[in-house]
Amino acid sequence: MKRRALISATAVLAVAALTAATVPAQAAEVGVSSTSITLGMTLPMTGTASPGYNKIPGAMKAYFDYLNANGGVNGRSINLKVEDDQYVPTQAVAKTNKLILQDKVMALISPLGTANNKAVAASVNPARRGVPVLFVNTGFSGFADTKKYPTTYAILPSYVMEAKIMAEYIKDNFAGKTLGLVYQDDDFGTDALKGFTQAGVTFAAKVPYASGSQSSTTAAGWVSKLSAAKCDVVILFGVSSATAAGLGTAAALKYAPQWILGSVGGDATTIKAAGVPAGVLYNAVGASFAPATTDMTDDYIKLFSDIYAKAVPGSAFDNNVLIGMNTAFVTAQALKAAGTNPTRASLMAAIESKGSTFASAGLLPLNYSKTSHVGYNGYWFGKYSPTGDLKPVDGKYVLYTTDSGSGAVVKSTYKRPAMPAKGLPE
Amino acid sequence: MHKLSHKKRIAIFLLIGVAIYFVSGAVDELRVYQGASLAVYVVGISSIILLTGYSGQVSLGQGALLGVGGYAAALLRIHYNAPIWLCFSTAIIVAAIAGALLGLAAARLSGPYLAGTTLALAVGLPSIANQFGFLGGEQGLLFDVGFPPLSLGKDFTQYKWFFWIASLATLLAIFWLQNVMRSRYGRSWKAVRGNDVAAELAGINLTRNKTLAFTLSAGLAGLSGALLAMTIGTVSPSAFPLSLSFSLLTGAVLSGVTTLGGVMIGAVILVAIPDLAGAVASRFGSSEAVTNNLPGLLVSALLILTVLFVPNGPVEQFRAYREHRVKK
Repeated sequence: MKRRALISATAVLAVAALTAATVPAQAAEVGVSSTSITLGMTLPMTGTASPGYNKIPGAMKAYFDYLNANGGVNGRSINLKVEDDQYVPTQAVAKTNKLILQDKVMALISPLGTANNKAVAASVNPARRGVPVLFVNTGFSGFADTKKYPTTYAILPSYVMEAKIMAEYIKDNFAGKTLGLVYQDDDFGTDALKGFTQAGVTFAAKVPYASGSQSSTTAAGWVSKLSAAKCDVVILFGVSSATAAGLGTAAALKYAPQWILGSVGGDATTIKAAGVPAGVLYNAVGASFAPATTDMTDDYIKLFSDIYAKAVPGSAFDNNVLIGMNTAFVTAQALKAAGTNPTRASLMAAIESKGSTFASAGLLPLNYSKTSHVGYNGYWFGKYSPTGDLKPVDGKYVLYTTDSGSGAVVKSTYKRPAMPAKGLPE
Repeated sequence: MHKLSHKKRIAIFLLIGVAIYFVSGAVDELRVYQGASLAVYVVGISSIILLTGYSGQVSLGQGALLGVGGYAAALLRIHYNAPIWLCFSTAIIVAAIAGALLGLAAARLSGPYLAGTTLALAVGLPSIANQFGFLGGEQGLLFDVGFPPLSLGKDFTQYKWFFWIASLATLLAIFWLQNVMRSRYGRSWKAVRGNDVAAELAGINLTRNKTLAFTLSAGLAGLSGALLAMTIGTVSPSAFPLSLSFSLLTGAVLSGVTTLGGVMIGAVILVAIPDLAGAVASRFGSSEAVTNNLPGLLVSALLILTVLFVPNGPVEQFRAYREHRVKK
């Protein structure tokens, strides 16, 4: 009898144990603990594509550290894990797998590069795993496609938008001039061409260059084509190293058209670091969606540059830093809006329902909704100062907005809401 | 040197297959993914061992041949929805044809000239994708091998499926390669590598031999490229950079370029180093600059140590050491 009781008791215990094991504990979301939220990002930190971009994680961490020191998000501190993908899709996939499967991040943030993001979407498939991919760092318009990439959110205006708006600026300011274009011979450039063609711009000389081929030697070839076609106004729509090669070589060959620089390759710090004197940049036209990085009258620029100077002393506050800190700031608001116990699903729902009202340094609206994952949708144009800083003409930001489709370019009347107190999410 | 009989080798490969099957069920998704990457490297490195170690030719452009295979597989899948085995076979054939063309040129070159030619290939070939619309430009093309069969259960992950496919392809490739090495061709290559004038005097046609080695090596590289494309779901020019060619060559040197036996060593090092570096960096709380550059530093240090102390690779060195002791 005793034996039977023992067996029964054992059986009951075993069943209880098994049941307990199969009922999931009321676990918090992956990457979210009672004290912290872990996010992960991949970008080139080493290799040829890294200059400029490798300042972004430091900038984001500077903001998150500031936020954490001020109470974090609903009491949780933000922890950012950074992985170097060397701008190679194979590495981007391997490192993203590590972030999601091993480091158990709640969301990916600001992953960089079109090919890398496409490979990650295809192989890691964050959408199937329900992992949010916040604010991808590429202007490829395809990532705003909510059907193909349901958990991915764009933030930068697309290359098509930029080209369309640039075309409008040219019509307003350089009508009747002979135009030249230097562009990267891939999707980055072809997206731009699409925008220019749509706006009806015709070029006397179109000079494509293969990604990675830009150097002072190849740039000499561009200059001879552009000067042979007698271009008065030349658009450099490439990466920073191409902009630097074009400007530097043209200056050496004494060819001085009116330059217009695309936003991707228009970061003055990176151009100057490549050996182009600030004087060569002087009077060139550039585009941005955020305030000028030298505009200390702007609340965000003042606060972000102060935070950055303390966190990374001696490093210049440039456009890459600004974009990094602004992305971190928008992310903090999304996490705050996701509720006291944020989940991946509530984070995405928060961006879709409240994202268009998030405060940000951008001078244009964020366009998030249930059906749109488009971030900023426009630019202002300005000129580079004698010291090589992009500033609005007459100190006034004239903003244009458009879409990546056939929509018109319109002057924006958007009024940016005031910065929340101390630049912390409300 | 003692050689295993054909039957014993088949038994060993089957045993490895069974072991892989059980391992795939026991480890988590990340390790399964790394296993698939390991298979990509094993095939890629063995293509270099065949070319350099056995036929004595240098290729700094193996990454480009991986690209040829990857693109061939992706195009066939996209346009004809071909079954996976056919995509992989086509990748091998197309890359082999590219290798044959390259081999014809290579047979006339040697030393630094051959290295330079293949290097130019590695630099130039991937950017061709930007010139033709059907190759998908910088974003590349999707290569979707599809979900695992439902019969494997709904918990069977995509990466486990990749791992199975990659492991099977790798086992078949290595088994085939071992057979080739033991054949007349393998012996001819070794003769050419040892002393090409003597080999020619013995009646070996140098051009034909060198071209054949290039062709077969390129076929393996093509398979490796198709497997790589499968694991990352896409092909794009940036997936086959110059650094890939150098990584494979580094892997071959670490494995021991003259013997297939150590091929796993190089592959494991290439896959594990970033993890290892990450663990070391977080253990010692290193700065960002150290963390980012540590993997490159570790691989470079290993490469130098290998060249200094075990130039023929650890496996060959161990074998020589054992034979030396036996003789004593």
